Amino acid sequence: MASMVCRVVIVATTLLSAGPTTGCGGSSLGTPPPAAATGVVQDDATMGLMEHHRYHHHGGVTLFIAMSLDTLGVSPEQRAAVEKIRADLQARMGPAREREQSLVAILADGLAAGSMDTAKVDAGVALVTAAAAGVHDASVDSLNELHNVLTPPQRAALVDKVESHWAVWQDANAEETGAAKAAGGRLAALTTDLGLTVDQVNKIRAGLGAGPTSVPRLDPQKIAADLQSFGDAFRGEKFDAKALTTASGADASMVGWGAARLAYFVEILSPVLTADQRANFAERLREHATHDPSAQSQGERNP
Amino acid sequence: MLRKIGCAIALGAAIVACMGCGVEVGADYPAGYYGDYPPDGYIATTEPVYFGGRASYWYGGRWYYRDGGRWGHYGTEPSGLYQRRMQGAPVRRMYESPGRSAGHSGGRSGGRR
Repeated sequence: MASMVCRVVIVATTLLSAGPTTGCGGSSLGTPPPAAATGVVQDDATMGLMEHHRYHHHGGVTLFIAMSLDTLGVSPEQRAAVEKIRADLQARMGPAREREQSLVAILADGLAAGSMDTAKVDAGVALVTAAAAGVHDASVDSLNELHNVLTPPQRAALVDKVESHWAVWQDANAEETGAAKAAGGRLAALTTDLGLTVDQVNKIRAGLGAGPTSVPRLDPQKIAADLQSFGDAFRGEKFDAKALTTASGADASMVGWGAARLAYFVEILSPVLTADQRANFAERLREHATHDPSAQSQGERNP
Repeated sequence: MLRKIGCAIALGAAIVACMGCGVEVGADYPAGYYGDYPPDGYIATTEPVYFGGRASYWYGGRWYYRDGGRWGHYGTEPSGLYQRRMQGAPVRRMYESPGRSAGHSGGRSGGRR
């Protein structure tokens, strides 16, 4: 009898012991995946964002702000107002975006033809830069309205996101030369996408290493200082975007550098690629030119 | 005698197992990977959960939040965040197809990273 009781207890123990892995494991819905799958460094969404930042510079910091609204997390009561502000910001960036599209189209055409019109490219870069210089001033009212609509935690979260976009932008547009050779850079991505040979990569890297003469210097410290000013002001109770007097210069600097750097990159690549690779890359550039992820609908939650 | 001792141990183990279950839910994090604070790409593409007056991100098995200029994390999972986590994966934004310049998806990706 004692033996029977013991067997029952042991069976019950086995079943109950399984509880934490099944019952408690109800909480196992949230059990994280193993380290390799947690995206410790770069997951698909991050890689996609880097790809975006390699080809879209037009709004500078204002573009980072608009993109930050995509995942800020707003209440149903705030949604309409925030969507309107986001649309306003997109409209303010419109001229710069259109000029960036034109520049990329010029680059794509030159790539496909195997002959780059450098004067046209330089003019295109100058137009993008000039348009970017006006984005902040045109967006002042929208930014002030955004500050009014958001709660303090949302303002802080937005600043975090803007700073994160800046960090990702720097990684995505890192120099293609040097010791690190920019693993997350444009060339690294295209090596796989276009099936570049080792010889081609070496030639491209050598060309990029020669250094562009027409690309203006980018001062990351200055951009970071401008972001700091924006962040400090936006987290505060009172905010006036008009007081950020250096923002326009930062936008123009970042956008001008990004556009010039992209143009230089394509000019270096063009003579090294095969006709098929040029056609492939040209098509991809055109797709980037017409791509507008901010126009997508917002707010759905994935299963 | 040995049987009685064995039964006592088994019974004790069962009780402990049940107690452990009750304590674990909504308090201790599930076992698993605990990594560094969320990287920039994650912050830029993930919707936070607002809790306790700050934005929190579920990443690598923990809830992280900004504490001034640094990242902090909750030592045990607050029940409010646990409830939110049980409602679904964080909303993430997929701006482009990774690793390929073409094929702009512009959509969103769910799933805990």
